[in-house]
Amino acid sequence: MNVALAILWKDLATEWRGRDRVVAMAVFSFLVVVVLHFALPARDAEEARRLAPGLLWVAYIFAAILGLNRAFALELENEALAGLALAPADRGWIFLGKAAASFVILGAVQAVTAVVFALAFDVDLAAIAPSLAIVVALGSLGICAVGTLLGAVSVRTRYREVMLPLLMLPLLVPVLLAAVDATAGLLETGTLRWRSVQLLLVTDAVFWIVSFTSFEYVLDE
Amino acid sequence: MSQGASVPAPALAAYGLAKRFGPVVALAGVDFTVAAGRVLAVLGPNGAGKSTLLRILAGLTRPSAGHVSLGTESGRPGDRRHERGRVGYVGHATFLYPSLSARENLVFAARLYGVADPRARAATLLAEQGLTAIAERAAGSFSRGQAQRLAIARGLVHDPPVVLLDEPFTGLDPTSADRLGAGLRALADSGRAVVLVTHDLAQAAVLGDRALLLVRGRIAFDSGPTRADAGTLAAAWREAAAA
Repeated sequence: MNVALAILWKDLATEWRGRDRVVAMAVFSFLVVVVLHFALPARDAEEARRLAPGLLWVAYIFAAILGLNRAFALELENEALAGLALAPADRGWIFLGKAAASFVILGAVQAVTAVVFALAFDVDLAAIAPSLAIVVALGSLGICAVGTLLGAVSVRTRYREVMLPLLMLPLLVPVLLAAVDATAGLLETGTLRWRSVQLLLVTDAVFWIVSFTSFEYVLDE
Repeated sequence: MSQGASVPAPALAAYGLAKRFGPVVALAGVDFTVAAGRVLAVLGPNGAGKSTLLRILAGLTRPSAGHVSLGTESGRPGDRRHERGRVGYVGHATFLYPSLSARENLVFAARLYGVADPRARAATLLAEQGLTAIAERAAGSFSRGQAQRLAIARGLVHDPPVVLLDEPFTGLDPTSADRLGAGLRALADSGRAVVLVTHDLAQAAVLGDRALLLVRGRIAFDSGPTRADAGTLAAAWREAAAA
């Protein structure tokens, strides 16, 4: 557990000093929202509610891919990833620390994106903020688990920027479907769709357990 | 020797280590042992397999065949986590985070290794390496020599019984190199087994209690338990290169 906490602290400290990841993710998701705003024809409130869940998660997943790609690229400098792999602990804790740091950073970007999105699409997200935060957190847990595991795999490949989304997006289909459906339910009725939340919980649990246990082998050369 | 006297187990032993990267054979069956308090110098031309050997010994790379033993007193041979904790590895790269200070890098490494008091250990190592005055500076601003000293401190943060160093003299000025050489000797004198990969025949002759010459993944020369002088090593190198 100490290893995970040490890595969480290290990732957040380096991000706080450089802010390269969070700024890139925030600017990118802002641009995605702006492009979607201008790309879609004029809407009424009903149509905006219908489209909003999918569009919001498009912005979130693009920002996540950008951030998760950077999470391990930073470990390539001075071969720091090998330095982590040498630690005499279960390497699952390394996964946990990296994934937790990505979750925190992605959460900050998602909060800002939600505000921009609500303004751009004239959707009242404030009324459902607590429930939406739960859905977004559950979706992000799945994204960060898969992204961290596959980020560690793809970082040593030649086409790592392309490889991560290619590997990650197919696996995230159930997470994204459930997250979009749960968000749609919130916007339509203001209540959580438990079937979608249950799917998120199950997929998150599977992804975190598989990633934790397989990280020992992922970091081997 | 009295009858029944036991031979101490080596601190580090390699048995039949082989490593292939696709069709490329990096190591083709390497065996050796290193006792506590001894320095093994591993020499060889570029591409001989020296760095691959060290990465296998450190637990970073799995061998295609053979295995490594790092002491037996724990009764847990083959426990990779336990074995990683017995090794201090200083590689070509420094493993440092440029935006963290020297002290933060060491405290972070100490926490990875579960050191009881990370801040106290970091302070001790900074003092030993003469880096206390610049401990709060970002590691990214360090010169090559300062970064190398910090990398060595990082490798020793958990006080390992086996120390592996890959070309540690690269980029050091003569004063720093002398200081590092004395430091390596002191490590061995304090009971650690040291494996030193180097191109420098003179350094190998001065520091190594035993020397291995690795050529194309095989041991081409082994000085055995005796120290080899630079002339002997140079002759072995020339002979291996000509073969």
